[in-house]
Amino acid sequence: MTAPADADGLEAIDLPWYVLPDYQCFGCSPHNQHGLRLRFTHHGDGLRTTFRLGRPYESYPGVVHGGLLGVIADEIMGNLIVLRTGQIPFTTGMRLRYVHPVAVGGDYECVARVRDDSTGTLLHAESDIRTRDGEVVATATASYRTVSLDAARGRVALDEPEVDDLHRALAAATTASASTSAAPVSTRTVAGTTVVAGEPTEITVEDSHARVD
Amino acid sequence: MPVSTDELISEITEIVAEELGVEVDTVSADADLRTVQGADSVKVLRVIARIERARDVELEDEAVFGASTIREVAEVLHRALAEEARV
Repeated sequence: MTAPADADGLEAIDLPWYVLPDYQCFGCSPHNQHGLRLRFTHHGDGLRTTFRLGRPYESYPGVVHGGLLGVIADEIMGNLIVLRTGQIPFTTGMRLRYVHPVAVGGDYECVARVRDDSTGTLLHAESDIRTRDGEVVATATASYRTVSLDAARGRVALDEPEVDDLHRALAAATTASASTSAAPVSTRTVAGTTVVAGEPTEITVEDSHARVD
Repeated sequence: MPVSTDELISEITEIVAEELGVEVDTVSADADLRTVQGADSVKVLRVIARIERARDVELEDEAVFGASTIREVAEVLHRALAEEARV
C-alpha cells in the first residue's frame, strides 16, 4: 500500500499496524472515523505529522482540547520507537508543557525524536507541536518501555495470524525506517527552532488522514 | 562540571532576546520579564519551553510561575539541574 503524500508532498510512512485489517488506534488508524488518523513522514532521524482538528475536538470555544495534544505527542513518539526498534512501546510516563492554545481549524505540525539519554530499560523521546510558521505551542517528553511482540501478546488482543503478519510488518518497517531516516531533510532555523522548509500547500480532506472535522 | 547561575543567566538572556527579537544587551537579568517590551505570557512560556529543551530538564510549574526575572529563572534552573545531578 502506498500512503498518500502529506501537506508538504512527502510520502507518508506505512505503519506496521496497517497489516491488521481492522485496527482502531485512536491516533493513527485510517479505519477509526472518530480518531485523529495521523500520518507520519520521516524528519531527519525522527518523525513528523501535520494535523488540523475540527470542533468535535474542542475544549473552550475555538480551542482544541489539550488532552488531544497529548494523544498526538504520544502517538508520534510511540510510532517513532516502533519504527526505530521493531518492538512494542508502552508509555510509562509523559509530561506536556502547554505554551499557547491550539486553534480549532488551525494547521499544525508535530515533530518527534528519540533522546540521547535513552537506556536499555527505557526509551526517552520528545516532541514539539508548532504552528506551520514554526512557533512552538506545546512540548512533550515521554518514557517508553519496549517489549517484543511476543511479550506484548498477553496485553493486546491479537490472534495468531495477526501476530504473524505483524511480526513481518515490524521487521520490514524497521528495515525501511533505518534506510530512510538517514536521508537529509531540508530544514531552516528560526529563532532556534528547526522547521521544515517549504510553504504549506492546501490539501483536501481526502488527501490526508490528519484533518478531522 | 556544575554550571554557575551566571552562566545560566547568560544562556537564558540569549533565549529571551531571541524570542523577543531584541538585542541581548538590552535585556537586564533583573527586569521583570512580563514587563519587558515585546514580552507576553506566551513568549515567557516559550522561553521556558526552550530552556527545558536546551538543558533537558523539566521545571516545576510552581517555580516557573513564581519567577519574574531572568535571574530568578536561572536560579530555578540551577536548582533543577542540581537536583537532577543528585538523582
